[in-house]
Amino acid sequence: MLGGSSLGYSRGPMNDTVVSVRGLEKTYKVHERETGVGATVRSFFNRKFKDVPAVGGIDFRIARGEIVGFLGPNGAGKTTTLKMLSGLLYPTGGEAHVLGYTPWKRDYAFLRRIALLMGNRTQLVWDIPAADSFLVLKQIYAIPDADYRTRLDGLIELLELQSLIHKPVRQLSLGERMKVEFAAGLLHGPEVVFLDEPTLGLDVSMQARIRTFVSELNRRSGATILLTSHYMDDIVALCKRVIVIHHGKLLYDGALADLAERMAPYKVVGATLRDGAARADLSTYGEVTSNDGAGRVKIRVPRAEAPARTARLVAELGDALADLSLEDPPIEDVIDRVFSGEQVGAAPDPEGAVR
Amino acid sequence: MTLVSTYKALLLAGFQQMAQYRIQSLLWMLFAIIRPVIFLAAWIAIATAQGGSVAGYTVGDFAAYYVCLAWVSQLVMAWNSQEFEWEVNQGRLSAKLLRPLHPIHYSVIDNIVYKLTTLPVLAVILVIISVAFNAHYSTQLWHVVVFVPSVILAAALFFVFGYIIACLAFWATRMRTANTLWQRASFIFAGQIAPIALMPGWLQAMAYGLPFWYMQGAPTEILQGTATPERALSILAGQAVWLIVCCAVFRVVWRRGVRAYSAVGA
Repeated sequence: MLGGSSLGYSRGPMNDTVVSVRGLEKTYKVHERETGVGATVRSFFNRKFKDVPAVGGIDFRIARGEIVGFLGPNGAGKTTTLKMLSGLLYPTGGEAHVLGYTPWKRDYAFLRRIALLMGNRTQLVWDIPAADSFLVLKQIYAIPDADYRTRLDGLIELLELQSLIHKPVRQLSLGERMKVEFAAGLLHGPEVVFLDEPTLGLDVSMQARIRTFVSELNRRSGATILLTSHYMDDIVALCKRVIVIHHGKLLYDGALADLAERMAPYKVVGATLRDGAARADLSTYGEVTSNDGAGRVKIRVPRAEAPARTARLVAELGDALADLSLEDPPIEDVIDRVFSGEQVGAAPDPEGAVR
Repeated sequence: MTLVSTYKALLLAGFQQMAQYRIQSLLWMLFAIIRPVIFLAAWIAIATAQGGSVAGYTVGDFAAYYVCLAWVSQLVMAWNSQEFEWEVNQGRLSAKLLRPLHPIHYSVIDNIVYKLTTLPVLAVILVIISVAFNAHYSTQLWHVVVFVPSVILAAALFFVFGYIIACLAFWATRMRTANTLWQRASFIFAGQIAPIALMPGWLQAMAYGLPFWYMQGAPTEILQGTATPERALSILAGQAVWLIVCCAVFRVVWRRGVRAYSAVGA
């Protein structure tokens, strides 16, 4: 224990694998309903089930202390994967090990070392103050007194819970409840934390606070964190590494910084032009995706030709050019392109799919 | 030891929560004893019309039987099957499944808390009914002694049986039908509509072969004092056998159910 600065968690050795997943699959059996009286009667006697694949064989490994973002559109299989890794769901195939345990066996020793926090779910008793629920959790998880105190103090400080934990949970706002929920889920000092949409429904400043908290948690306790979110801001702020899944398949696993290079076939030239030049025809350099009329333009150029076209732009515009930048497209655009099914190398989407 | 202190903490939280629902839990309790009181009123009317007794049961006997039945019903009752359906369908079970404690313990606690908070009021009501109808008890000290394990077995049996039905929620979205079926069976076979001794022989035979009478009618007879020592022993034996059977079935159903659990929503 490192006292307050480590939130009372014990730090494990770094760089060993804590999550390993091989060929993990989950297929839901869904009752097929047809319309019409005849079909209804038939289904009464002979229920038809349809296999709906949610996760179709994915592999990855996560080392201790990493924060990994799990990206994918709705229905990609992110939550299903988190549920399997935390032990809630039995997979249809494949294997997974978390801290050396097979999650779905739900060994109590395993459950004491992990947490699954879901943004839109409450696990606290609504009618009593969170402080009382915490005491129950302390007993259920058999948390030693000293650890309990240190962690609770740390969480109260980090999440600014002081005034919240003595009110009945149902009197708290969504954001307040989320913070208290976080505390409840982390009191037992999990070494692996699965976060499913932790900022869902929260306002921008509360989202930012939760982000800061998650990164502090990782820094102080060394907890390994696997996180899903719809908000790219969460991912950009927290994760160096991302795993992208789509239709239950793994599309990308690597550094967030390399995602654009791999998934987007273009770069963006940002140019600021002096008076008059704004009306110049820039479409010979690439596709102009924005032009604010005051001289600031963005031009999309094929990745491979980016240096050449930029050089040509500098040479041809000369003094008319006030400022120049060459960037990867915003990560949102990249992700949107991937999820909307565009192939790498396809024509750029003129809308830019800006959110 | 951990389980003991966990229970202490859960009980404390349970009482705090219940304190916010005092009126509601009293209403539940009144609701639960309405049925025996209605049957009592009906049987008193019949007995009075027939010159004071039905098949040897006097008004005082009926009063004693239904007061004891109300008492037993309250001690035995569990409603986890309804609650569980909701928890499974809403995905609320997930949080409980992820804690190192079997989810059944939360139901046990709810059950204990509810009973302890409502019993004093129930006792007062039942004493009033006893006095008003001049209830006739044949209870001896040994009856009271045997009643304790018998009512505990009955409560455990009711609870586990309810949980087996509750587990159907893992496969079926609506299991209200299963619950209704259980209630209807209890109506006849548990001794709610009439003391089992007043029923035709073939119905009695069925009741002895099914678990429902052991949950309610059987401990009622012991508390009322009508059971002979032999009958009391066979009641305890029947309860123990059914409890073992139900626990075994529950283990299997639970294990399979949790595998089938799709953690919808959460």
